[in-house]
Amino acid sequence: MPPSRISRRDFVKTAVAIGGASALSACLGREDPDLPTGSAGARPARQHAWNDALATDDAGNDIPPRHHLVRLFDYRGDRPTDADRETVETALRSLERAYPRSHETDDGHGVGLLSTVGYGPSYFERFDDPGVALPEPEPLAPFENPTPDDADVIVHLASDYGSVLLATEQALDGERDTVNGVEVAATLSDVLVDADLADEGRTRRTGFIGAGLPADNQGVTGIPDSEPVSEDAPLYMGFESGFKGSQASEDRVTIEGGPFAGGTTQHLSQIHLNLQQWYEQDSREHRESTMFCPAHADGDRIEGTGENLGADNQVAGCADDVTTDATESGKVGHAQKTARARVDGQPRILRRDFDSTDDERATVHFLSLQSAIAEFVATRQAMNGTTAADSAAVGQRSNNGILQYITVERRGNYLVPPRNKRALPAAP
Amino acid sequence: MDRRQFLAVGATTVAGGLAGCRSMFETRSARSPPLVEDRPDAVYVPTHVEGMEMVGTTEAGDYGVALTYSFPHRFWLLDADETNRVEIRGEDSAHLMSVVWDSETGTVVPNSSVRATVERDGETVVGDKSLWSMLSQNMGVHAGDNVSLDGDGTYDVTLEIGPVSARRTGTFADRFDQLVEASFTVEFQQSTLEDLSFELLPDRQGERGAVESMDMEMLPVARAPDPEAIPGDAIGAPSTGDATLAVTRLSTPPEGIDGEGAYLAVSPRTPYNSYPLPFMSLSATLTRDGSEAFAGALEPTFDPDLGYHYGAVADPQAGDELTLSVDLPPQIARHEGYETAFLSFEDVSLTV
Ligand code: HEM
Repeated sequence: MPPSRISRRDFVKTAVAIGGASALSACLGREDPDLPTGSAGARPARQHAWNDALATDDAGNDIPPRHHLVRLFDYRGDRPTDADRETVETALRSLERAYPRSHETDDGHGVGLLSTVGYGPSYFERFDDPGVALPEPEPLAPFENPTPDDADVIVHLASDYGSVLLATEQALDGERDTVNGVEVAATLSDVLVDADLADEGRTRRTGFIGAGLPADNQGVTGIPDSEPVSEDAPLYMGFESGFKGSQASEDRVTIEGGPFAGGTTQHLSQIHLNLQQWYEQDSREHRESTMFCPAHADGDRIEGTGENLGADNQVAGCADDVTTDATESGKVGHAQKTARARVDGQPRILRRDFDSTDDERATVHFLSLQSAIAEFVATRQAMNGTTAADSAAVGQRSNNGILQYITVERRGNYLVPPRNKRALPAAP
Repeated sequence: MDRRQFLAVGATTVAGGLAGCRSMFETRSARSPPLVEDRPDAVYVPTHVEGMEMVGTTEAGDYGVALTYSFPHRFWLLDADETNRVEIRGEDSAHLMSVVWDSETGTVVPNSSVRATVERDGETVVGDKSLWSMLSQNMGVHAGDNVSLDGDGTYDVTLEIGPVSARRTGTFADRFDQLVEASFTVEFQQSTLEDLSFELLPDRQGERGAVESMDMEMLPVARAPDPEAIPGDAIGAPSTGDATLAVTRLSTPPEGIDGEGAYLAVSPRTPYNSYPLPFMSLSATLTRDGSEAFAGALEPTFDPDLGYHYGAVADPQAGDELTLSVDLPPQIARHEGYETAFLSFEDVSLTV
């Protein structure tokens, strides 16, 4: 194990991964964000409307919050009662009063606290007529066998500050009376309990995204000891992700009609990475080819992490070449394949994924939003590159985008209602 | 010390026997002598041959599965028509290898979807590592990579074997399409590695030729079927890029392939050992009376009689002029002696 470098960023992240009161106090001492309180005022009707609170880079890409926390719960009761609804809503509102969605900082713009609350198929099963079409998670490729996550409730919290997530979590768990000087009027743990997940699944999933964080947190299984992740990489695999042009808009992922109009669906996979071959055996050119597309590597289009691409990964031009690239160059790109799922030139899913050191494994918590789970499934099918694998050189996983380096361990599907139905919604 | 200089010293030590040669680095370097200079653009005899330790064999789904290991190896990845040499890292402890075969016929299955997880006392030492499909002279087609372990001890190795990508025909049609797991327990000892047989080949190294495949009772070796034994009419077996392309015409396509007319099957294999060459792009044209009767890709196909081959219902007829083009060399990682072969191919023509 290489000696760990103690840096400020390193410290903050580790705190979120560890959690708890001592992590928080240590974290606060260093981070000290000096955040204003939030307001009880109007919030977007869509829980998933986060983008207007995010900073953008020079090219216009949304910059995701640096720290993430997902908690998976089961509901303690059977049919939700109005009293329990009240508790959940009050708890969430307390947090909104405590933290702003975003605030101005010395260097621009910081995310205070953003959240969504969603509900899984097992939540809706308690109603005689669940009235929602939310499929159970399934294996989405012949080469995977993920454990389904069957939590009733999923809470996704994001902030640019680790300390905010930790304090928020303590408030939700009933371990604090105030956050950021604001009284916590209710706690989720009165009505929710950590989910009982198959195969000892984690109910607490943590992570980060943004330059420096992956490099500072690369001492995990799945990343070789040579510390190959560069300081400017926003994610372990070394490239920018989430270009404006390759993300669905919040409108696109919003459910249009029916009882949950204004909501969205959420998919969360837990994916393990093994990047030893990626960094120590594959060439840079191979990485560019298999992440983006062979034409990008041939044309030397990607500098460093790919920031030079601007607001568009520019794979629209090679998405139609998947079959030819498979036969002629023996490999196909991840973005190239997934871009084939676009409809009218627009991607179908909004990716809000992040990296993680959970279980000391290099992990991606792949969290995405879409108007229906079928949109995610279609995108994932495109990523499987089955037609490319018909050619001999590209295997089901080898030379087939990044499939060789990732293993999907768990999957879960959830419905994220509009804000006015976010607290233990009734069956429609 | 310069690594190359050191290797020269190490090599002498080996010649004198391994006794006393206990330092990891010393032994490992000695076991990876300098490459032959001026390697031919063809299959050649490597600098050495070495043994391997058999962990065991088991059954998983449709497969028989073997796990073996040896010293960490240098090898070459293929990226289109270029090779990319993988060096041994300081922390590498072993070269982990697996062979999977059809449990019914014993035919080795070229599967590029094998993953290894290595655990010790419940801790993950190597997590979900894809093993490369590889070709070596003494083992043929297998899956492998160097791994870094935590020293001597007991390890649990789980191999996860995914479905085969190639089209499957005949009795193979509904086989090899599941995800299955095979588990092994490895008592890993550095001393076991050091006791593995190791022989330098100073007189033969660099010559065109190949060492023979290891003869192991428990372990089938991938062999392309003898051209004589392939059903149908043998059309020829031209050589290109140092590979032999055994070409056959079957009056009807193998069971499971749609289409009317005769089937064209091409079975590329290594010289000397006749190992099949999977994961290449191959296409064919047929010219009849001056005009084109067929032009197209041959699809990778795995068949109990034809083995791993490339085929199409091209309907070849007696007298047709057949041209075969390799559009992409076999994308299989190479052990020493194969890394300069099967990289650049001239078209070959023959008459049906
Ligand atoms: C697990 C690790 C993954 C990593 C490191 C990763 C990384 C990337 C990167 C670097 C890009 C190109 C840059 C961009 O356009 O944003 C990209 C594009 C994309 N990825 Fe992933 N990805 C992963 C998994 C997935 C999964 C599971 C899906 C879901 C099916 C997915 C869907 C997409 C889509 C839809 C695009 C954009 C395609 C377009 O341009 O239309 N990715 N990804």
